[in-house]
Amino acid sequence: MKKILLSVLLSAPLWVLGQGFQVNLQGQKQIGMAGAGSALALDEASVFYNPGAVTFLEKNSVSAGVNPLLFKSAFKQSGSNVTENVKNKIAPPFEFYAVWGPKSNKWKLGLGVYTPFGGLVDWGDNWSGKYALTSLNLKAIYFQPTLSIKITDRIGIGAGFVYNHGDVNLQRALPVNYPDGRSGHVTLDGTGKGYGWNAGLYIKTLSNISFALVHKSKVITKLDGGTAEFDVPNSLRSSFPAGNTFNAELPLPATTSLGVGIPLSKSTVLAFDASWVQWHIYKELAFDYATNTSALADTKSARNYRDGSSFKLGINHQASEKLALRAGVGYAFSPVQDGYVTPEAPDADRYILSAGIGYTPTSHFEVNASFFFEDVKSRKQRNIETGLDGTFKTLVYAPGLSLTYKW
Amino acid sequence: MVGEITMKKYILNSFVAAAILFTAACKPEIETPAGTTAGQANFSKYIAVGNSLTSGFADGGLYLEGQKVAYPNLIAAKMASVGGGAFTSPFFTDAQANGSGYISLTALVNGTPTLTPVLGNGWRDAPTNSRLFKYSGEVQNLGIPGMRVDLSFDPTLTFSAANPYFERLLTDAQVGKTNYFQFIQGRNHTFFSLWLGNNDVLGYATNGAVTVTGDPTTVLTDKVTFSSLYSNLLNALTAGGQKGIVATIPDVTAIPYFNTVKVSLLLAAAKAANPAAQAVFIQTGTGAVRAATDDDLIRLPFQSAGLFGQGAIPYGLHPLNPIASNWVLDKDEVIKVKDYVNSYNSSIKSLATSKGLAIADTYAYFNQVKTGINLQGVGINAAFITGGAFSLDGIHLTPRGNAVIANVFIDAINTKYGSTVPTIDITQYRGVKFPN
Repeated sequence: MKKILLSVLLSAPLWVLGQGFQVNLQGQKQIGMAGAGSALALDEASVFYNPGAVTFLEKNSVSAGVNPLLFKSAFKQSGSNVTENVKNKIAPPFEFYAVWGPKSNKWKLGLGVYTPFGGLVDWGDNWSGKYALTSLNLKAIYFQPTLSIKITDRIGIGAGFVYNHGDVNLQRALPVNYPDGRSGHVTLDGTGKGYGWNAGLYIKTLSNISFALVHKSKVITKLDGGTAEFDVPNSLRSSFPAGNTFNAELPLPATTSLGVGIPLSKSTVLAFDASWVQWHIYKELAFDYATNTSALADTKSARNYRDGSSFKLGINHQASEKLALRAGVGYAFSPVQDGYVTPEAPDADRYILSAGIGYTPTSHFEVNASFFFEDVKSRKQRNIETGLDGTFKTLVYAPGLSLTYKW
Repeated sequence: MVGEITMKKYILNSFVAAAILFTAACKPEIETPAGTTAGQANFSKYIAVGNSLTSGFADGGLYLEGQKVAYPNLIAAKMASVGGGAFTSPFFTDAQANGSGYISLTALVNGTPTLTPVLGNGWRDAPTNSRLFKYSGEVQNLGIPGMRVDLSFDPTLTFSAANPYFERLLTDAQVGKTNYFQFIQGRNHTFFSLWLGNNDVLGYATNGAVTVTGDPTTVLTDKVTFSSLYSNLLNALTAGGQKGIVATIPDVTAIPYFNTVKVSLLLAAAKAANPAAQAVFIQTGTGAVRAATDDDLIRLPFQSAGLFGQGAIPYGLHPLNPIASNWVLDKDEVIKVKDYVNSYNSSIKSLATSKGLAIADTYAYFNQVKTGINLQGVGINAAFITGGAFSLDGIHLTPRGNAVIANVFIDAINTKYGSTVPTIDITQYRGVKFPN
């Protein structure tokens, strides 16, 4: 009987990572251009976008920015007449960069702290998909010290070491009922770490058209000793012991990008980026509980992601000496195959639209703002593992602001 | 210069403020392509004809919580958005909420349940407890626990007095003077559901395929009789050209009542106590005594009957003291019962098809549940207690089971009549309550 209990309780998957968790918000100027700009030595955010371009930055600088992100997802069960929405919660992707190097030298040092993956979805404790997920709060913070070197006047290379600090809090309801009818609940909470690298090549041709090739490695983030708290009726307590912990692994994928920068005039430049996000490493999600019982075995859930990709086109127009205007469009192909869409990452192919503005009051200060919008296509799915059956539709809004000091 | 900075800051602030406002206003929308329609059906007055399943019987009793989530009540609530009217049910009052009484799970130790009775407070002749408080007034949920197709036509009219759930709904003048077939007519319905016939085989099966002389609830209804009486029911329910839905009868071996106490589990328990135990012995329907296998199904209450292994010659473990025939649906009886279910179902389907009615194939659905299905993140199977669909009597449905079955009806209705009765969110309904 307990074996069956196990299959009831744990047949559902616990989380997935999707394009939905890749946060494309790492520099206000690039965000304003839909995330394009790896082939432009625009600013200190090149530490992320292309370490090879960092050495071509004219000044030393530090900058900090934030992009309060609102992930508005809706779900309608197949056959239902009720649309359910996630709660309005604002995730705070941020970025901090510093670039320094002796003037007129061939190298520069950089440091980037940014949040390339994350997710904040809270569907509430009593929505129709509660047994698949009630909420997820996932943050990956990358720390990336970087060295960038000019090989020639027109070619730069750069590389950085990446340390990831990951935080995960995932909750869902369990389909066991208390005497008052309410459901059980599980909260998995943990922190983890992982390592990787980010390297780029920047080439500026004689015609001033620039090219970029950037590879950001996968970062396998290991969560050890996370807490697994099962809120179940006491008669089931021996099956779900208190104080349990778990180990898990989050494979954050590698991304390879090709970028082109095309100056249209002295004041206007066009940037195009194509990225290949190597999600295929995400084959399964496994949870290893410290204490197993006959009802609580370790779980392995198939994910079978394929690689995702994105195409982004942005424009930067220097309207005056002090004012820059930006805009961008993009399209991204989801890595989540049919049958694997979940409420954690209700993913689908998506359109990207963005706009940005930059203001440089003095030669030392710069303020940049952006607005980033994603329209994730509506997707009707029946999840193979959970049977959650319905249509997801998501819109993402992220206004952002950063401050830069240059010298 | 300063003025310019202020202005630019103002522009930036406005930009951010506008962005946030815009964001808050724009919710994603999901369109429903089919719109809202009753299709070719008219749901303005729905009646539900059936047995205990229809009445909301659960956990071995009829009580208010179960009545409220009976599948017809869940369906009726959803019909409201496509022209459905009020749906009245013979609910017990709050003071009578425990109804006939039921069983609850009070402990679960190493997977072994302790089931404890909750006394009924719906009896008007306590402590005799043979007569329930009467319900008068309009009734659309016409489910009567224990009702059968054959007894719907009870020529003696005595079942209306013998069955307390039926008696409860009748005026004193009607008791002993009517049968179910008469009772369900003249209700001016526009739509009906008919899920009846389960007890025509279940009454026999749950008594271990032993018919008790003088007890009409333990006989197996003749196949031809079943078909002809079912046809009479449908003729009456469609007399005014009404649309409706019928449901097939689940395989009795798909319910926990017959697949929880397995011979192999009994033998393992016996061996654990005494390694010399060789086999579990049963008396079959033919009177023969033999070693049992997992093809022989032992009834659920045997688990708590306190018989197994008892006595100088251990009960069930020796050919001289076998498990009595009425505890066992032996493998030949299983074959017989399955054959009757299949026959009834083919009658139900062909009669319904000839009348152009929708069919909820609960036979096929419960066979899927037996294997296990995942619905909206909930694993559901036919396991006792943990399976989520079946209540503590191992036969009737939990609120979650009712919601799942209601969706089977709704899907069949929508498919047949082109209607868009919304489906039910099954996650709002509980399985078995576990003690805290």
